[in-house]
Amino acid sequence: MEFQKEVEIRAPREKVWRFIWDVDRFIACVPGCKEAKTIEEGKRYAATMVEKVGPFKVEFPTNIEVLEREEMTRIKAQASGADNKIGSRMKLDLDVNLRDEGDKTVLGFVAGVDILGKLAALGHGIIKRKADQVLDEFAQAVKKQLEGDS
Amino acid sequence: MLRRFRLEEPESVSEVSELLGRFGDSAKIYAGGTELLLAMKEGLVQYERLINVKKLKCKDVTLESGQVTIGALCTHHELETSQAIKENLPAFAKLEHNVANVRVRQVGTIGGNLCFAEPHADPGTLLIALDAKMIAEKSASTREISAEKFFIDAFETALEPDEVLTQIVIPAPTASARNAYLKFGYLERPSVGVAVAFNLNGQISSMRIAVGCAGPAPRRVQEAEALFEGKSKDDAERNLAEAGLLAGRAAEAISDLHGSQEYKEHIVGVLLKRAFLSALS
Amino acid sequence: MAKPMSKVSEAQLIPISFTLNGRLQEIEVQPHELLLDVVRERLGLTGVKRSCDVQVCGACTLLVDGRPVSACTTLAFEVRGRSVLTIEGLAENGKLHPLQQAFIDHGGFQCGFCTPGMILAAKALLDENPDPSEAELKHFMHGNICRCTGYKKIIESIMAAAKTMRSGK
Repeated sequence: MEFQKEVEIRAPREKVWRFIWDVDRFIACVPGCKEAKTIEEGKRYAATMVEKVGPFKVEFPTNIEVLEREEMTRIKAQASGADNKIGSRMKLDLDVNLRDEGDKTVLGFVAGVDILGKLAALGHGIIKRKADQVLDEFAQAVKKQLEGDS
Repeated sequence: MLRRFRLEEPESVSEVSELLGRFGDSAKIYAGGTELLLAMKEGLVQYERLINVKKLKCKDVTLESGQVTIGALCTHHELETSQAIKENLPAFAKLEHNVANVRVRQVGTIGGNLCFAEPHADPGTLLIALDAKMIAEKSASTREISAEKFFIDAFETALEPDEVLTQIVIPAPTASARNAYLKFGYLERPSVGVAVAFNLNGQISSMRIAVGCAGPAPRRVQEAEALFEGKSKDDAERNLAEAGLLAGRAAEAISDLHGSQEYKEHIVGVLLKRAFLSALS
Repeated sequence: MAKPMSKVSEAQLIPISFTLNGRLQEIEVQPHELLLDVVRERLGLTGVKRSCDVQVCGACTLLVDGRPVSACTTLAFEVRGRSVLTIEGLAENGKLHPLQQAFIDHGGFQCGFCTPGMILAAKALLDENPDPSEAELKHFMHGNICRCTGYKKIIESIMAAAKTMRSGK
C-alpha cells in the first residue's frame, strides 16, 4: 500500500529538520507510537507501535533504520516489526522530503506500508484506511508541534 | 482450539457493566458468539474472560404504543419468525430471513450483530432507514442512541466500554409507510446493502435512505434523500439515476475483495432504484 | 457487593448434562472447549466433520434441540440441558432414517464428507417444513456446501425423503 502526504508548516526548514531528529518529540507525533529509543544516533532507533481497529489491537515492537540522509532535504528510512501474539508483521518504507515554499516549509512523505500475516484477514480496505488515518494524524501532529512553539 | 478463558455468567445488566468496567479490554461480552468466536479462533483477539450475557432478560419482541421493541438477545431466527415483526416490519423479517446461513441465524443475536459492527452486515442499514433507537444501559444509567449515530467505523460503535445494548426500538410503520431493503453479494457476506423508508400520501415525505456494507459503517445518505422529499411518485422515479449517483458517492465505498469502489458505487445506485420501486409496490 | 473473582490461571470446569442421540451424558468441560472437539474426540462420534472451521460450509452441522448449529463455532457448555443429535443417532434399531435411505437411493453423495451435515440440516428443514418448495429447500440448505455432487441429487434425495416421511414413513 502506498501513501503520499504533504503538509505545509509555518516554520523554517532548519527548524523542521531539527525536529525530525529530536526523537522523543518526533515519536510523540506518531499516533500509537511509544517508548522510543535511540540505538545509534542518526542511524538506528526502536519504538513500539500500538494500533487498534475496533476490538483488534496490534503491538509491534519496531526497528527503524535510516538508510539515506541528505542534510535539510531528504531522509530515507525503513521500519519493521512483528506482533507474535497476532502473527503479523509490518514493514514500512519511508521517504521524507523537505522543501521551501516562501517562508513556509513543505514536509512531504511517501510511505510504502506492508502488513503481512493474520491481520491482513481484516481486509485490505480496512487496513488501508487505518494506515491512511495514522499518516494523516501524524502529519497534522508534526505541523501542530512546529507551529505551536514559535 | 481456542485459547483458555474464564466464563462469567452474570444475571443482570449492572453485573455485566461492572465486569466490563473492572476488566476492561481483557473481557468481552459473549452472546451467540458467531462473530466473536471466529475472531478468537483466528487469533485476532484474545480475552481472559468471556461474559456470557444469555441469562439477561432481553429476549422479547413487543408492539406497544406504536413502537416495536426488540430485545438485543433475540436471534436472527427468532426475528425472522416473529409474528409481530412479520406483520409490522416485513422488510426487517425478510432481512433477518436472509442473514448468513441457517446455523448462524439459529444462534447469532441481533445485539451481537450490531455491536460487533462488521462492515459487511445487513441489519444496521435497515435500522438506520427505519429510524431505530438503540437502548444502551450500564450500572446507573440508560440512554438512547439513534441508529444513524450508532455506527462510528468498522468494528466500532458509539457504545461506551461498560455499556450494554439491551433493546432496539423501531417506530411501528403507519398505513402510509413504505420501506424495503435489498442487498447484493456473491461472497459469504453481503457486498452492498441499501435500505429506503418513506411515507406516501400522494407525495413522498420523511424519506430516509441508508447504505451499508460498501463502506466501513452503514450510514444514512441525506444527500440523496432531498431528491425524493415532497415529490410525487413519478417525479421521484425520474430522479432515481441522480439519487443513485449521490448515494453511491456518499457510501464511502472501500475497494476490497468484494469489489472496487466504482463497482460498489454503481451497485448502490442499482439497489437504490430497485429498493425504491420495491417499496412502492 | 462484587463476588470474589476467580483467578484466570485456575482451570474452570463446568459440569454439563445433556442427551446425546437420546442418551444422557454427564461430563465436565472447560469454557473454551468447542462442541465439535468434545463430540469427536471425547465422545468418539466422528460423523461430524471439521472442514472450513468458520461456520460457512456446514460439514460440522449438529442438531441441538432439533435446530442446526455449527459445532465448530459452538462452545461445548452451551448444550447443557439440551438434546444433541449427530448423524450416528439418526438410524433407529438398525433401520436407516428416510433421509439416509433417500441419499443412498438417489445418489445424494459422492465422497460423503459433507453428507452427515447435509442430512442433519435436511432433517431440521423437514421437521420445520414437511413439504418445502424447491426454493424453500434451497434457502434452508444454502449454508451446506458440497464440492462433489453439484447439488441436484441432494435436492432430489431430500424431496424424495420428504415424500416418504409425509406418507408416514
